[in-house]
Amino acid sequence: MYSDSGADGGSLFGGGGFIPTQSNSLNDNSFSPSGATKRGGSQSSGLMPLTVKQLSSATQKASDDNFYVDGQEVNNITLVGMVFNKEEKNTDVSFMLDDFTGRIEVKKWIDGQDSEELVELRNIRNGIYVRIYGHLRSFQGKRNVVAFSVRPIKDFDEVTFHFIEAIYVHAYNLKSQGGAVGSKMPSTTGVSYGAPQASTMTPNPSVIRPTISNQYTPPASMPVGSNSVNECQKRVHLLFDEPANLAIEQGLHVDEVARRMVGFTKQQVKDAIEFLVNEGFIYSTIDDDHYKSTNG
Amino acid sequence: MEAYTSNPALLANAALFRRYVGRRVRTVLQVGRFEGGNLYGQAPDGPQIVVRQVPRKEEDFTQFVEVIGVVEGDTALQAEICTNFGDKFDMEQFSKVCELANGNYRDIFM
Repeated sequence: MYSDSGADGGSLFGGGGFIPTQSNSLNDNSFSPSGATKRGGSQSSGLMPLTVKQLSSATQKASDDNFYVDGQEVNNITLVGMVFNKEEKNTDVSFMLDDFTGRIEVKKWIDGQDSEELVELRNIRNGIYVRIYGHLRSFQGKRNVVAFSVRPIKDFDEVTFHFIEAIYVHAYNLKSQGGAVGSKMPSTTGVSYGAPQASTMTPNPSVIRPTISNQYTPPASMPVGSNSVNECQKRVHLLFDEPANLAIEQGLHVDEVARRMVGFTKQQVKDAIEFLVNEGFIYSTIDDDHYKSTNG
Repeated sequence: MEAYTSNPALLANAALFRRYVGRRVRTVLQVGRFEGGNLYGQAPDGPQIVVRQVPRKEEDFTQFVEVIGVVEGDTALQAEICTNFGDKFDMEQFSKVCELANGNYRDIFM
């Protein structure tokens, strides 16, 4: 469970969706809790379609350089907008991208050897719509994007599409946040995960995410009309987070959880467990039937 | 091309014009006719819209044009930026996005 050199692909990159959660133990001290725990699919090291408004309201933690939108770490982003104030230099091309929810500076470094690219970049003129792929950065307090691809838009349904995609991902992320108790964003008060998981841990009251408790606190972003799947996930998560269960070294057996989840079928419980594993809220311990909360 | 100030423009179809009188919006029109420096076109959700102070000549426009400008009335816009959106564009989808962007998902647009 421990990775000595950090060469475990899972803990370095979050696996890109290919490395199972088990390899990311809580005790990898070098990573923030939210960054290390694995999410189930495309969201963690994938590509996020965003509006500039979302970029400007992205949050940052004190402990790392990452940006977070809707609780998800922002890695690669894609934007669609209009070019303004284009400046061409020897080493780079920069411009303001305005998608009319806001403006952000975009810079594309030029590879002097690639003449095709130079021609393409010449085609980027003020007033045209472009699609960019890049990385969000912050420099001297100001946010900007380093783009690795800038392409003029030819079919303008792509503009509509980009907004639809941004809405979809936003809704999806809010739903995952709302689907389990407590915020995905770890507390910024320096949560310490230093103690080896093997010892019995009593939750340190001063070092806790404020919302995790035996009581269910509905998150503000709770989608209207949450269904029984969400309800099952919430309650299973709550169960794992009970201090008594956090204290059990190997966690809870699936059957034990199902036994306590009165009114839900074993399959529903298993589905909920799978969801929670994918979102990084619980992990399997001694075998595939035992799980424990990552909140320990 | 002059640099416009970074005023956000709200996605809008004709139904939203009433809400946004005096504010900067963006919409896509299907071009109808030109008359006296005004562009008459159809909004994504159907109604006829007039765009005043169109900055370009008639022959420069494709069938669909994105207009960013200030709402003057229920069916009138004062143009700031007009962008050709080609001869093929899905107005229905765009209209739906306008609804979403001003409804449940407004927080990522404004």
